[in-house]
Amino acid sequence: MVVLRAGLCPGLTEEMIQLLRANGIRTVVDFVSSDLEDVAQKCSLSYKALVAVRRVLLAQFSAFPANGADLYEELKSSTAILPTGNPSLDQLLDSGLYTGEVTEFMGAPGSGKTQVCLGIAASVSLSLKQHVLFLDSTGGFTASRLYQMIQAQTEDEEEQAALQRVQVVRVFNIYEVLSALQELRDRLSQQVMSSVGHLKMVLMDSVSAVIYPLLGGRQSEGLALMMQLSRELKTLAREFSLAVVVTNQVTRDSSTGPLKPALGRSWSFVPSTRVLLESKEATWEKATTQHVASLAKSPRQPTGIQVELDIG
Amino acid sequence: MQREVGALPLAPALRARLAAAGFQTAQELLDTGPCGLSKEIGISKEEALEALQVVRQECHGDAARAAGGSGATRKCTALELLEEEQTQGFIITFCSALDNILGGGVQLTKITEICGAPGVGKTQLCMQLAVDVQIPECFGGVAGEAVFIDTEGSFMVDRVVDIAAACVQHCHLIAEAQQEEDHQKALETFSLESVLSHIYYFRCRDYIELLAQVYLLPEFLSEHSKVRLVVIDGIAFPFRHDFEDLSLRTRLLNGLAQQLIIIANDHKSAVVLTNQMTTRIGQSQSTLVPALGESWGHAATVRLILHWDSSQRLATLYKSPSQKESTIAYHITSHGFRDVQPPAVTPDAGGAEGNPRKRPRREEEKQ
Repeated sequence: MVVLRAGLCPGLTEEMIQLLRANGIRTVVDFVSSDLEDVAQKCSLSYKALVAVRRVLLAQFSAFPANGADLYEELKSSTAILPTGNPSLDQLLDSGLYTGEVTEFMGAPGSGKTQVCLGIAASVSLSLKQHVLFLDSTGGFTASRLYQMIQAQTEDEEEQAALQRVQVVRVFNIYEVLSALQELRDRLSQQVMSSVGHLKMVLMDSVSAVIYPLLGGRQSEGLALMMQLSRELKTLAREFSLAVVVTNQVTRDSSTGPLKPALGRSWSFVPSTRVLLESKEATWEKATTQHVASLAKSPRQPTGIQVELDIG
Repeated sequence: MQREVGALPLAPALRARLAAAGFQTAQELLDTGPCGLSKEIGISKEEALEALQVVRQECHGDAARAAGGSGATRKCTALELLEEEQTQGFIITFCSALDNILGGGVQLTKITEICGAPGVGKTQLCMQLAVDVQIPECFGGVAGEAVFIDTEGSFMVDRVVDIAAACVQHCHLIAEAQQEEDHQKALETFSLESVLSHIYYFRCRDYIELLAQVYLLPEFLSEHSKVRLVVIDGIAFPFRHDFEDLSLRTRLLNGLAQQLIIIANDHKSAVVLTNQMTTRIGQSQSTLVPALGESWGHAATVRLILHWDSSQRLATLYKSPSQKESTIAYHITSHGFRDVQPPAVTPDAGGAEGNPRKRPRREEEKQ
């Protein structure tokens, strides 16, 4: 619904816009879908000029269809699979995290979501030497734990360099998240390599913490903002070949019902892969805990696979 | 810098009108100007001016960030965060086993939640922490002040006097044993009166007062910049009874949690909350779980559950980003929180005394 404005394309002048508006053509969609001969007659504008303007507007605003084979070739060359550093998790995810997709880890409190994210960040930063952006919305990012994980994987002095490749942004409400993602998009599209480096992964812990305060009640804009966030994440993943990882909470329908992922059905279409993390004990009184990951949604593997995770 | 209109913090009705009129990016809004804007979407000139001010602020914030200045944003590398964390202090609890499982004590810039059945010692621990945060740095403390927000009315001043007196006594004994000059200097300002005068007490009777207090807290904290601990004793109490609309409760609690995280982060203080326990009835057995539901469990970064085991009080670290889960035993004496076996080195042997003030453990309360 873009309004016609002077300067939108060469040849679209202010008088033209006034004449068009007088005849009920306000937006680009109206212009492109109307019969140009008719318009030329009613507004007394030249037919050639209108055709030229329409061509430019179509080039600017429409999407171009792509050949399936070309798309496959492009994906083959641009998609990378990033191993998570945890062999059982890699097995669950069909050898790792795919770039160009959004992967979600969900679980109850204390089930290990932040630990898994830290492990992934450590592995990508250390073994693959790629930059990682960590958006922390819960305050749960502990640099000393990340340092511990990195130290466990290597003995040399690469630890400092690995830590420098992980950039942490603390965002505590939805607008800060959106502006941080927008800023990332600007930087990547301008290709400023110095600060961003070879950014391959964006981790967001957790996405439900910033969206929950907006949902529910009689406000409907919470859903709109949630969809805006999902659009930003997916565009980033697809356009710049990043792997996006988010964490989510789980809720219950009633106090005894089964666990289901938070944020509802609208969010369930956003991630392509969903992993549920659970800690095996039902009560908190036992001393040993084991973490189990099961695949809830995946485009490549059968769902329902379970593996045991070892979180250091 | 093409910020989309949908991503700007404007009122929803205004946003809907802007979208209907065809504005897509913030740049278009700024180009139109307030008069053009008020004509296009039919709002008054003052509203248009206000909206444009908000937009301009956002765009300038973006521009400043892109130029390399990172003053206002909370962005840094993990290496810088590690250095920050290593120099940060902890608030000790005087029970060394508890400090060990927490990784040194209650961490600053994080939210710690203490859950437990009635009478197990949550308020006692809060009062202990409110005193311990004021220990001077040469004795291993943080030298900060404390804000105590009470919703249940369980804050007893004479108990705080006991705990504070024991703490001051402990520091005097250390100073005598070690005989260093800065210890003596610090002790001049660390006395019972100063401890009590640096605990700022607020009493909130229902959830609206609590929400208002938390949202007004940043102003208070910017005036009193030495505050390093915010305690909310009884966050469950105002939210548990008389709430018909549970989705409203979830939304309010989540908003509260985010606000507390912002406070903890910006003012470098620890936030401690106490929560009650509720029973979850399962298929074959019923278990005690922390109250306020599943979504509240994600709000706190560190979760400590205090419980009974016959007549011994135990503390379990249930959720922590950097420590393993473990359980230890503790005692509450007339001096406050202490270990079960007092370590041989410390001069005060307040470990295993019976306390006439401690509530007697009755059989009916056993879970």
